[in-house]
Amino acid sequence: MNGERDPEPSSGSRSQPSETSSPQVLLEVVDLSKSFGPVQAVQGLSLDVRAGEIHAVCGHNGAGKSTLVKTLVGLVRPDEGTIRFRGEELSLRNPLDAQGHGIALVNQELSLVPELSVEDNIYLGGLDVPLVYRQRRLSERARAVLDQLGLRHVQLGTAVETLSIGERQLVEIARLLVRDARLLILDEPTATLSKPEIERVFRATRDLVAEGRSVIFVSHRLDEVFELCDRVTVLRDGRRVGTHEIHEIDRRALIELMLGEMEGARAMVQHEHTLPGSGEPLVKIEGLTVPGSIEDVSLVLESGLITGLAGQVGSGTSTILRALGGLVPGVSGTVCVRGRAVPLKTPRRAVEAGVLYIPNDRQREGLFLGQTVERNLVVARLRRLSRLGVLLRRRAHRAARQLAGMAGVPVERLGSPAGSLSGGNQQKVLLGRALELEGTALLALDEPTRGVDVGGRADIHDLIRAAARRGTAVIFSSTELDEVLDLADVVVTIFHGRIVSIVPRDDATASAILADMTTSHTTGTAAAAT
Amino acid sequence: MIARVGVERRPLGIADYALAAWIAILAAVTVYGAATTEGFLTVSNMKAILTAASFVGIIAVGLTVIVLSGSLFSLALGQTAAVSAMFFLYSVRWGLGAAIILTLLLGLAIGAVQGFAVGAWGANPIIITIGAAGLLEGMAVWLSHGQSIVPPDNRTSWEHLANPVLGLPAPVYVFIAVSILLGLVMRRTRFGRQIYLLGENRVAARAAALPITLLTVGAFGIASLYTAGSGILIGATSANASLLLVGSYTYDAIAAALVGGNAVTGGRGSIARTALGAIFIATISDMLLLRGYSTGGQILVRGIIVVVVVVLTNLRERNR
Repeated sequence: MNGERDPEPSSGSRSQPSETSSPQVLLEVVDLSKSFGPVQAVQGLSLDVRAGEIHAVCGHNGAGKSTLVKTLVGLVRPDEGTIRFRGEELSLRNPLDAQGHGIALVNQELSLVPELSVEDNIYLGGLDVPLVYRQRRLSERARAVLDQLGLRHVQLGTAVETLSIGERQLVEIARLLVRDARLLILDEPTATLSKPEIERVFRATRDLVAEGRSVIFVSHRLDEVFELCDRVTVLRDGRRVGTHEIHEIDRRALIELMLGEMEGARAMVQHEHTLPGSGEPLVKIEGLTVPGSIEDVSLVLESGLITGLAGQVGSGTSTILRALGGLVPGVSGTVCVRGRAVPLKTPRRAVEAGVLYIPNDRQREGLFLGQTVERNLVVARLRRLSRLGVLLRRRAHRAARQLAGMAGVPVERLGSPAGSLSGGNQQKVLLGRALELEGTALLALDEPTRGVDVGGRADIHDLIRAAARRGTAVIFSSTELDEVLDLADVVVTIFHGRIVSIVPRDDATASAILADMTTSHTTGTAAAAT
Repeated sequence: MIARVGVERRPLGIADYALAAWIAILAAVTVYGAATTEGFLTVSNMKAILTAASFVGIIAVGLTVIVLSGSLFSLALGQTAAVSAMFFLYSVRWGLGAAIILTLLLGLAIGAVQGFAVGAWGANPIIITIGAAGLLEGMAVWLSHGQSIVPPDNRTSWEHLANPVLGLPAPVYVFIAVSILLGLVMRRTRFGRQIYLLGENRVAARAAALPITLLTVGAFGIASLYTAGSGILIGATSANASLLLVGSYTYDAIAAALVGGNAVTGGRGSIARTALGAIFIATISDMLLLRGYSTGGQILVRGIIVVVVVVLTNLRERNR
């Protein structure tokens, strides 16, 4: 980390970042609140974005960033609070409405049509394209905007699918500029980009603010925040914990703001499960690589030990687990269980070799929502619950009752469709599948508590610990720091598909892990930086 | 699924009421038709209905396994039935037992190959089975030189298959027996359970390490095996077999499965539903025939019934 401060002299016309509130405010959010069911996503959040500034919004997962963004573009209606934009109070109904006012979101997942040309994509769905239009004028306008974004070399007629991801991102921005967006929201714009592409997006972004437009930059990558932004607002638990000029704050202070009391709270928690790990290596992963996603991941997993993969969304933690489960084509590297190689070609072969993968998307990939809870619970052990292919129904029922009891799923719901349970209970059903399953050497859990409330989360953690106590090696992924710190015996941090650090839990600190999760630095320097 | 204790009640939606209303209308019309159609309520007519339902019914319950597994339908059933009938009447010269076994094996093989293409390569089942239908038809014409197959005069053992037993034609007993057997397989075996899971959610089935290829081969294999069985009975009943037998078996079997209310998307439904669907369609067809409707009229009415039931069950599924 070279520069905590970088006033960015290159774009001179930027409005002066003075301490006073004199610069004109483009966007003003006052006392915004939004809850989803019992979850208070955003609480009394206030924020202002000046004309001509790049304003970073940082926060840990669940801090309320995406709710804020969605509110600003009309995807979510706030329960309370006001949004004033260019002095006018807005009540946005949908993203189109927001665009009409000049607020536009550049999403992580781009919304371009790959088969269409650059120009068609730029005007696709445009409100202001008249029924009878003058092609040349539109073309000239598109050309000008592309040039401005540094896409001089891209022809208007080129199909978008032939462009690089970074170029597509810029086309997406061009599309919003043609609609004259005054406030652009970039949500994790660099997650999938290479270094030179990131540079290009940054350059374009600076040019935009030089014209007096404003940008809200949402990112996990603190380096980029320091490199690009003028001010940063930190959110935690749905509230704003501070807004700072970027040159007034350093990396360490920023991380502390993001974490808040967590570090302290963690010290108070006494972990009852003491001794993990038998010391015998049960599973050896060597050079696990999936082109374009993960690279050269090597780990040794001990029997009874819980290994946590910490990484942001898109960092590759999920791919590692899926690859172990035999669900990723094109994977290379070796995985050995007790010295025997695990075939990674199909989930079936992986299971036979003792590796059980539990997906993170319980609705789509995990559960059979229309089938009964009982059927879902016993799906992984049908072979043991049948003789000569005939199901032993009484035994299957008993097994399901037992698993439901262990997993904390209400036994009286065994006959209900899995889809009728609450999210937390669904997740328990999914995990219940893996409990007490003979022949499982490695349990690979992808985001085991995604979308589960606090109480359910604790239960699920207990289940996972119980599984480990039986001698299974457990590896799980999580984008949530406190979960990793709470559950893992060993914390492995992943950034951009590579292992950044491997730390025993007792030596792990939230700030060190967060630093590793958010930088491309190697272990040594990341540790030194914090 | 039978409601058990603890099953929570979903509020009934408009589709539920519409479906109930439709069933009531059909029942009313059927009862009215039964009462007013001359010659309907006779023992011989009941036999005729059951017999007609049997040939299609055997194919339809086999097809149900494909539907439940989430692989939509097979469009090669009529061809499989015709080819089986031809092969059976030809091979009967080697003995009845041998002919039956060989024909069933042939059917199983025809289905297994299609199932492999669908399960292992993820091929679209509709396309694959249309292709298979063409292939079967071509091979049948080639091998039979376009002639009808007639069994040799000195071998008449096959006639037993068409003769009545205790007053009912043999196919009726076969239909009932194989339906019960398959019903048990689907409810009580690991294979059956896994077929339901596969049909419910293919992605989850893969992640849960179910043997998808094997299951799909099994589903198409059973459908085709049953179709071959029906082909044997069709051949024995008609005493000669050609591609003219292809007829509308494919669509009638699909109609039976759909009218029974099996979810087109898989995972929900049962063998019993299809069997009832087959009997219902045979009843309606018989009634229309007795009332003097043309073939076109019969097909039209059948089509309307199927379409309405499919739309309503689909709407209902979507509400779940």
